Amino acid sequence: MLVKSICRNILRPRLGLKLSPLRGVHTASDYALSPALLSRARLLADEHTKLAERLGESFDAKTAKRAGELAPVANILKEWVHANDSIVELKSLLNDPDTDSELRSLATEDLESSRDTLPTISDRLKKALIPRHPFADLPCLLEIRPGAGGDEAGLFAFEMLRMYVAFCSRRGLRPTILKQDTEVGASDDRLIEAVIEIEANGAYDILRTESGVHRVQRVPATETKGRTHTSAVSVMVLPSFPEDGSEMDSAMNFEDPSSDYYIDPQEVRVEKMRAGGAGGQHVNKTESAIRLTHIPTHTVVSMQDERSQQANRRKAWQMLRAKLAEARQEAREQELMQLRRGILGGVAKMGRGDKIRTYNFGQSRCTDHRTGITVHNLDGILDGGDGLDTVMDSVRAWIADREVEAMVAEDMANAKSK
Amino acid sequence: MPRIPFSVIIKAQRENNLLPILLKECRTIDSARNELRWLRERAVRDSQSLPSKAGWRSRLRSMCRMRSRGYPLQYILGDQPFGDLEILCRRGVLIPRPETESYTYQAANLVRQMALGHNDKSKSPNQARPLRVIDLCTGTGCIPLLLHALLCPHFQELEITGVDISPTALDLARENLEHNLQLGQLAPRAGTDIHFYRADVLGHNSDNSVPSIESMLQTQHPNLGALDISSPDQESECDLLISNPPYISQTDFRNGTTARSVRRFEPKLALVPPYLGSGMEDCMPEDIFYHRILTLALKLKAKLTVLECGDSHQANRVVALHKRLASAESGQSRAEVWPSREQDLADNGFHETDGSRGVIIRTLR
Repeated sequence: MLVKSICRNILRPRLGLKLSPLRGVHTASDYALSPALLSRARLLADEHTKLAERLGESFDAKTAKRAGELAPVANILKEWVHANDSIVELKSLLNDPDTDSELRSLATEDLESSRDTLPTISDRLKKALIPRHPFADLPCLLEIRPGAGGDEAGLFAFEMLRMYVAFCSRRGLRPTILKQDTEVGASDDRLIEAVIEIEANGAYDILRTESGVHRVQRVPATETKGRTHTSAVSVMVLPSFPEDGSEMDSAMNFEDPSSDYYIDPQEVRVEKMRAGGAGGQHVNKTESAIRLTHIPTHTVVSMQDERSQQANRRKAWQMLRAKLAEARQEAREQELMQLRRGILGGVAKMGRGDKIRTYNFGQSRCTDHRTGITVHNLDGILDGGDGLDTVMDSVRAWIADREVEAMVAEDMANAKSK
Repeated sequence: MPRIPFSVIIKAQRENNLLPILLKECRTIDSARNELRWLRERAVRDSQSLPSKAGWRSRLRSMCRMRSRGYPLQYILGDQPFGDLEILCRRGVLIPRPETESYTYQAANLVRQMALGHNDKSKSPNQARPLRVIDLCTGTGCIPLLLHALLCPHFQELEITGVDISPTALDLARENLEHNLQLGQLAPRAGTDIHFYRADVLGHNSDNSVPSIESMLQTQHPNLGALDISSPDQESECDLLISNPPYISQTDFRNGTTARSVRRFEPKLALVPPYLGSGMEDCMPEDIFYHRILTLALKLKAKLTVLECGDSHQANRVVALHKRLASAESGQSRAEVWPSREQDLADNGFHETDGSRGVIIRTLR
């Protein structure tokens, strides 16, 4: 963020008073808002005005919801228009030879401050225009699995589990470990698989920057000859749906057959432990594992952490819903990407299979490959500290920029085809 | 019992030196890992809450040693999940099994279906009196408590009675009622809806120190009438009679069918029916409880009877026994082994041929 704002300051034309009156208001804001974005904002603001009028006459929950969604865009656009108007007014005042010198100096000051606020307003407008991710308001599940690298990957995966738990606790997000399959070592634990549930609403939006392959470069504890190893840990952030689907609106209700996220219970095979031999009073088994298989997609979820079979079953369903929803959303994004690719000529899309970040212990640094940001306090990051926020914020801004780019490209293509 | 491969023991040893100890009882590394984690969580929690000289590590070690001797995990940890309830477990009382959980859920489903069916015919006998459930050989009280949790949202009035011969079991059952009320897993009304009484289901006590089930029911529920078979017009006073009675034969108790841990540490009273000598010629010694319970079900005109059995052979014997006993009756009934359909077996995690089975008897009107 810091880097970005510095760049903007350098790029911003130091126009000041020397601005030619002929170029008018548009020049001042051109670098911030494309005409396509602006027209989109106007369109949405118009819709908001109409909806507000309709709401004045009679209340309707659906209309109110849409109006609520559009309100930020309309408000920020109003601010933007107001700022531009005042710039025009001030300039005409300055260009008027009749303006006395005292007023002139006041106007100059006002003009400066108006110009300064304009980029922030434009930025906010951009953000408001980006369609919210469908899962943005949901809590989430974060799944960690070691990839290539054997024991070392398992060890680092365990450290990443600790990192995210610490990060969530520090941010007040209440992490609960839903599943933790470890090889219980004498000193260090090697992770086989872990799932953390973060119940706070909106946790998906905060953590979705973390999906992808994380790479670690270090001399592992298990290495005797002092060689640096490179291993990988994959992280997947999944949306977590409430247990009762009807709490969601219909588009997200996984119990509603018309919803995109509907799961037909007939298509899920449930397996409990099915041991042969004597049962009932004859034996006292403590296993309570549940395995769910979504037959059409071959998605398998198994849960054995809890002693209660009921609890394992609930958790397994939660995981299955999350995985299927994410897969469906991914498929939809892929489709969109195909559409856009023709327009943009190759969009940088980071999938879950891509390497997104490197933790280098030798140089004590953490580099995110999407934004190129490097933070040098590696210990702090692994403790889930501020450094991780810095990295995540930079990625969030990067994602937002990519989305704006894609949107502009789409709008431009639409405009051309009209 | 198949030998554990040496490679597995080595792997376990490398991972954690407590794992091979647990492997002796758990048999698989996954299961041993899980138990080690549960024991560790408990050991750490105990060392934080209880003032103790020993740290959690030594506590964990001694827990693992106990477990490797076959001491049940539930007696070490002190509880067992049952549905969403937490059932306290203690030496002298049978630990609830997952199959029993399945039968209890199924019984609750059938009771609800039955009530809905009656409402459709716009005559609702359940309005006149509370829904009445009797659980014989209740042990920890897990069945009455789970039934209350499951039926409570659907029935205004419930009257659930748990019966056992063992005072230890009855104490624990009452404690479990209190415990789950405190956990908030049971609605407050469970405190007045559920009762536990001491009685002898077999009724063979010569010295009458324990009341027979009939005399207990008559004392506690005078409105159950004289339990008179000869009055066919009498309305049913019991909606569900459910039981997980002792059902292991003397042979199966000794020949390795019954696991060492169960044989050594769980009460034989809850597992093997006593030998009554003569007088029960028409059924096998391990089935005597079913004989008594089926007879009682007929007397009470129980609308639904759910019985846990050791395996499908025993379940089939119970179905046959019911047909024989009911043939003298005027009313019609249907007895079936459950689960027996493939879907039911799979959904409830039952093996296709092995393991426990239940018998469900529905009175038809």
